[in-house]
Amino acid sequence: MSALSIEVTPEQQRQLERFYFHEARLLDNRQYLQWLTLLSEDVRYIIPSRVNVQVNNRARGQEDMISVEHELEGEDSMGCPHREEGYILLMLRAERAYKINSWSENPPARTRRIVGNIELMEHSSDTLSVLSNFHLYYARPGSDNILYSGQRRDTLLSQADGFRIVRREVVLDYAAIEVPTLGLFF
Amino acid sequence: MSLNISDLVNEDASLISRRCWSDEGVYALEKRGIFGKSWLFLGHESQIRAPGDFVQAYMCETPIIVSRGQDGGIYANINSCTHRGLPVCRADHGNTKRFVCPYHNWSYSVEGNLMTIPQESEVVRKPDKTQLGLKRVPRVESWRGMIFGSFDEAIIPLDEYLGDMRFYLDAFFDRFPAGIEFMGAPHRWVINANWKLPVENQLGDVNHGAFLHSAIIPIEAQQLIEKLGHSVVTTPGHGATFRLMPENTPVDDVAWGMEAVGSIFGGDEVQNYLREIQTQAHERVGDLRSRMKGLTYGIYPNLSFLWSNTSFKVSHPRGPGKVEYWSWAVVPADAPDNIKKILRTNYSSFFGPAGILEQEDSEVWAQQFLGSNIDFADDRPYYYGLGLGEEKPHPDMPGLVSVTANEFYARHFFTRWKKELQAAEGPL
Ligand code: FES
Ligand SMILES: [Fe+2]
Repeated sequence: MSALSIEVTPEQQRQLERFYFHEARLLDNRQYLQWLTLLSEDVRYIIPSRVNVQVNNRARGQEDMISVEHELEGEDSMGCPHREEGYILLMLRAERAYKINSWSENPPARTRRIVGNIELMEHSSDTLSVLSNFHLYYARPGSDNILYSGQRRDTLLSQADGFRIVRREVVLDYAAIEVPTLGLFF
Repeated sequence: MSLNISDLVNEDASLISRRCWSDEGVYALEKRGIFGKSWLFLGHESQIRAPGDFVQAYMCETPIIVSRGQDGGIYANINSCTHRGLPVCRADHGNTKRFVCPYHNWSYSVEGNLMTIPQESEVVRKPDKTQLGLKRVPRVESWRGMIFGSFDEAIIPLDEYLGDMRFYLDAFFDRFPAGIEFMGAPHRWVINANWKLPVENQLGDVNHGAFLHSAIIPIEAQQLIEKLGHSVVTTPGHGATFRLMPENTPVDDVAWGMEAVGSIFGGDEVQNYLREIQTQAHERVGDLRSRMKGLTYGIYPNLSFLWSNTSFKVSHPRGPGKVEYWSWAVVPADAPDNIKKILRTNYSSFFGPAGILEQEDSEVWAQQFLGSNIDFADDRPYYYGLGLGEEKPHPDMPGLVSVTANEFYARHFFTRWKKELQAAEGPL
């Protein structure tokens, strides 16, 4: 992931920002059912777990020695990612929010998402690979106020009426999980 | 503040003081009287197969390195340099010949022996390295691949400690010819709760499902759990809950793993795999145990096994009001990789830090600590009297058995807890 993002026109960049800012606003406004419409039906939503790895002595002096990738137990690993979900589980999470007995979110958390560093990394016909970073401020009664921080590695599908998320991998900046839940939409 | 342990838990353990959950002095006694005296879960042999393999663990708040020695044996040592106390191992897991302390580079073998002191060539009198290894956990034993350690040299053998829980654990383990294995590093979740509440929850509190989790668990499923559910206490502090399915229950309704979300959406291959395991269960674990469809297990003091979503969990205290809750996905060791990857989601989707169910549990555990730490309510102990005296021996199963609404599992836990704290009482 050392490559420079591909060159985009201001209009293309604006198009991506428009999509991501809209998505963040829907989520902060708790409009999760509308958020679901931004997903492709075959969406994959992954959160790798992250570990403190043993440094490979033979890689000393090289950037690879401390590469973030070594810390991730993702979908292809034989470890255990935090989340590996398709549309149905995401829908279950979204619908849960509107039940009165969803106790951990009742009263619901206040959130504010700031999405930035949006980079188009690859573009082939209608498929785009996009990186973005986020800070998510999260407050709910009885919990401390929490800052979630991470990177999103998206695959988007460009359709006539806008983008759809086909795949999202969320790289969180935690090993031990010192936040109340990883069950949010990042 | 001076506390009397006998005031915290009443005679039949139907009343439990709020202080049990929040008091610093109680916690100090727990460390000495319980965590210093019990067998504590360290990990699974599948995590350290080759000589030099190691994983980190905790015994209460004490950091431990669990390793496979060059001789093939299993070692557990406190992760703290004999020179100035730094942790000598900083990775969660790995394979090494030596642990090298960062400060002055004293180096230790994977078995914990002190191998080199770089400075010793410059001094005349050489330290006796044989006396300066990492502090070894004096007792380490395994059962069915589960590794336990104890700080108490005189503790009873692990087999005996587990006692009749082995009957219930084998109802699961013995289904798999090659045993089970842990997938990857544990999920480590810091929750502002007392360590005993996650333990109590998994020891027998199946009954909260219908209420706390009603946004996700359909009421019919929960009613079936109540109807077929059994709660067992084998030894105070150890317990199991499961559904005992009627004879001739269709294989899909009794098979381990079929009811979890990964298997439901995982396709024919995983479902056929689970059916096959169930088909052999009768022969492997006998008729009665082949009909057991497990829910939650607890091993005193702080290990839990969630059979239904197949995870091991350890509740590591970090003070009275904080816990580092570790959990691992558990799968049959000889399952094909693609099936293991599906089965792990049976755990991670519903439990663990991202779990759609356990996010409710962790929230109430934290809320319970708040309630246990308020002023002017100490004359209102918690009521633990549901089903008092209603548990009975069973003709075919070891232990005391009852319905899942009976809170006897918790009363037994606190009776043992009280006894062990009283034994440890005295000047700190
Ligand atoms: S503290 Fe470990 S070598 Fe000095
Ligand atoms: Fe629960």
